[in-house]
Amino acid sequence: MTATAERPQTTIFSRPKSTTGFWSWVTTVDHKKIGIMYGYAAFAFFVLGGVEALLLRIQLTQANSEFLTAGAYNALFTMHGTTMIFLFVMPVGAAFMNYLLPLLIGARDVAFPRLNALSWWIFFFGGIFLYSTFIFGTSVPPVGVDGLGGIDGNLAAGGGPGSFNFLASSPDGGWFGYQPNAGPLYSPGTAMDYWALGLQILGLASLISSINFIVTVFNMRAKGMRLLRMPVFAWMSTVVAFLLLFSLPIIAIALFMVTADRQFGALFFAPTGGGDPILWQHLFWLFGHPEVYILILPAMGIVSEVLPVFSRKPLFGYSAVVFAGAAIAFLGFGVWAHHMFASGITPVAQAAFGLATMTIAIPTGIKIFNWLGTMWMGRIRLTTPLLFAIGFVAMFTIGGLSGVTHSIVPSDWQQTDTYYIVAHFHYVLFGGAVFGIFAGLYYWFPKLTGRVMSEKLGKTQFWLMIIGFNLTFAPMHWLGLQGMVRRTWKYAPETGLEPWNVAVTIGAFIIALAIAVFMFNWYTSKRRGRLSGLDPWDARTVEWMSPNPTPEYNFAVPPVVERLDHFWHLKYDEDEEGRAAAKPDMDQILSDIEEEQLNPRAPIHLPNPSYFPFFVALGIPVIFYGIIYHTTMWGKALIVLGVLITLSSLIGWSTEPLEEPHSEHADPDEGYAHEPAEEVMPS
Amino acid sequence: MTDLVHGEAVDHGHPEHESTEVDNRKLGMWVFLSSEFLFFGALISNYLIYSNRGGFEGVYPAAIYDIPFTSVSSFVLLMSSLTMVLAHNALSRGDQNGTKTWLFATASLGAVFLGGQVFEFTEFIVEYDMALTTNPAASAFYVLTGFHGIHVAIGVIMLLSLWGLARRKEGLSEKAGLNLELVGLYWHFVDIIWIVIFTVVYLLSTVPS
Amino acid sequence: MSAEHHPAHPTPSQYWKIAVLLAVLTAVEVAMFYINEATDLGSLNALILIALAVLKFVIVVGYYMHLRYETSMLSRFFTAGFILALSLYAVVLGAMGVIAIRG
Repeated sequence: MTATAERPQTTIFSRPKSTTGFWSWVTTVDHKKIGIMYGYAAFAFFVLGGVEALLLRIQLTQANSEFLTAGAYNALFTMHGTTMIFLFVMPVGAAFMNYLLPLLIGARDVAFPRLNALSWWIFFFGGIFLYSTFIFGTSVPPVGVDGLGGIDGNLAAGGGPGSFNFLASSPDGGWFGYQPNAGPLYSPGTAMDYWALGLQILGLASLISSINFIVTVFNMRAKGMRLLRMPVFAWMSTVVAFLLLFSLPIIAIALFMVTADRQFGALFFAPTGGGDPILWQHLFWLFGHPEVYILILPAMGIVSEVLPVFSRKPLFGYSAVVFAGAAIAFLGFGVWAHHMFASGITPVAQAAFGLATMTIAIPTGIKIFNWLGTMWMGRIRLTTPLLFAIGFVAMFTIGGLSGVTHSIVPSDWQQTDTYYIVAHFHYVLFGGAVFGIFAGLYYWFPKLTGRVMSEKLGKTQFWLMIIGFNLTFAPMHWLGLQGMVRRTWKYAPETGLEPWNVAVTIGAFIIALAIAVFMFNWYTSKRRGRLSGLDPWDARTVEWMSPNPTPEYNFAVPPVVERLDHFWHLKYDEDEEGRAAAKPDMDQILSDIEEEQLNPRAPIHLPNPSYFPFFVALGIPVIFYGIIYHTTMWGKALIVLGVLITLSSLIGWSTEPLEEPHSEHADPDEGYAHEPAEEVMPS
Repeated sequence: MTDLVHGEAVDHGHPEHESTEVDNRKLGMWVFLSSEFLFFGALISNYLIYSNRGGFEGVYPAAIYDIPFTSVSSFVLLMSSLTMVLAHNALSRGDQNGTKTWLFATASLGAVFLGGQVFEFTEFIVEYDMALTTNPAASAFYVLTGFHGIHVAIGVIMLLSLWGLARRKEGLSEKAGLNLELVGLYWHFVDIIWIVIFTVVYLLSTVPS
Repeated sequence: MSAEHHPAHPTPSQYWKIAVLLAVLTAVEVAMFYINEATDLGSLNALILIALAVLKFVIVVGYYMHLRYETSMLSRFFTAGFILALSLYAVVLGAMGVIAIRG
């Protein structure tokens, strides 16, 4: 193909150029900026989900409370679950993976930078779409359905005291949308359409991300970074990407079937038409169970990074931890019907799924023991990240143990739909995933900001959180076993459930206080925190060989990896007893690395920013709004408009090169220009 | 200060990398296609569940299939895989004219297949009163074949785009050649899904008693 | 991109021959359908038709999608998705009563 000096201009708008300011964020394809945006958005939803939880807790503090109507309660637990899972834990995992994965493998960016931006914008618009139900959605009680009149006539979310009228427009079919309850007959109105279509949009974002991360890990590792030398977090991210890749298509179909029922009169789940509600449960949980491993594995990865650093010991059994993570994911595909033990599946199915569920305890146990083995005889530094990591191990173990009790079928029949289950999953998701997330935030904060978060505030947050968390969720174990039922807006005083419910609510507000402390810590540390320098934690892995805050190009000179924990071994030798001994010139080594990475000796070429991911993403919710209102003229117009926006942006994207060619040696047809010959590579 | 130039590529396939030697986009396409098995698997399972369940009101799809007609359209789609692979082969030999011809042929055969689907659906709805809303078996049928049809339509659009690019004076570049290979992979995948659908949905489906 | 190796490709005439084979297999499938209508073969019909579909599937994947000549990693990804889908949905079909899982 011929190389020409000048470049045919194929785009109508000129390529964005800014690297700072508002537009640089809108057009960025830099994985770090994308990760930061994911993080802030996720945290905003965390706060919203937390407020939803506090409202639920206020209602449940007293027996027979009238604080919320039944309908409002249903809406709140639906949105609490949906928000926390899809709009907080998943995107915060994406935030970590986006920011860190290229750094952990010694790369400059992900395999497909614009696709990465697309994932973020699709997620962003999807979250807004879902929450716009509060403005546009409607949720009315089913009319004329036999046997329904509402307890105290207050099935409606709207109207009357305790109804919080804005909740009248939000989804109330549970985060799991069981059919036909969440279908057109029993949940008329548009709120559950916002739910189904919103999740559809979010799923698309994650699916695109997963492809990006898989190709990145397989093709973009630095020289010498063999797969089994990658940091554990990079491994867990890869495993999560495969879980997403294979589970999201299933939920996409299931959600489409719900939309087809609700909007187009299909009969997939309508019992009166012959539809089977159990089919929904199978399809949902086929996704739903891998989903919970998607939620926990990143946090497990974080803990596997943090524990070795602050124990000053390598991770015990690195390969075992990696393979256990893969095993958990693999086995996780085979246990979904343990969410259906009480739904009428056959005894053979119950036994098979019960047994399969028990086997997951094995790789999980391997990880737990290896984490303990990492800390054993280590020289512990009790920093905030380590406290959260230890908290993870303890709390997750408790949650895992209650999980094992669910795997015993007759036992599960008693536990299911009680607060015992609520206790279990909050121990693994909050005590587990959320604690792991905070460990990661404190640990990697220097990479984002070049500063360290306040230890005093961090420890305050930790202790408030662990006390508040246990006060909130431990009592739920026995409340559940005493018969407190899930998803029910009130309980009678005769049940005797009230005293512990008061304790639970107090715990919930302590958690809220802890979060407030965190937000204050984040805000002040960003501005006035102690400067971190290159290696504030005396870390082990290569992301710490890039200066703090991370420069746009990540590494001026990508590391050449010689072994696992490569960075550590640059700093430390082993003495005769195999103990780590700092090299005499360690300080010089560190300052050399920092100097080299801060001063690239040749121009570094990065992909240009782009408008197109933003606009391709923008069209998608427009289409979906149109689908909800497709029986009207406006709806049809929105569908057409959305398709035009997305399609034209896709065309523009396809004609835009990833990078505008450098003037000297541009080959306009060559998608990948070459590194300049004079760029220095490490020897 | 660092001399950043927003210009050239990140280190794609640079020899200094640990890499699989498979181009990023090709690997990405194969990874994506492997996820599509879960997608179509759910749709096919739906169909198998509901088409084998007796007692529904209204017409079952298996009662009204026109096997000769569907056989012909299956043949058409199958042959479009041939033309697709010939297009790819022509480009690899630098035969721009051949590339153009075979790309257009593939898109045309795909369009013919789609036309057949539209005709079939219309027949079912108008002649036999089987719509999406008739019964769960019908719902499952339309959603399965509908999604497949959407995939074919997207493929036709991509093929026509490539054909448009090939008609330029300079023809298809090497970079676009990779795109052609990727579109080809997608197209063949859509074909193999139809191979499964034709057998499982059309040839093996019977109306439950 | 420069690192990508170009494995051997079938020639156009081989592609045509494969197409003829695929067409013949399709014809056999359709013939089976009518044979079965006339002389109910029971589960043998399903077995033969599925075998024929598998054969067409493998031929298109191996030769037209070129998987036979590609690095085995791609086959592993592709097969993994397929096997996973097959296993998961087989269990669902069993649980929903479409296929009988022994036990």
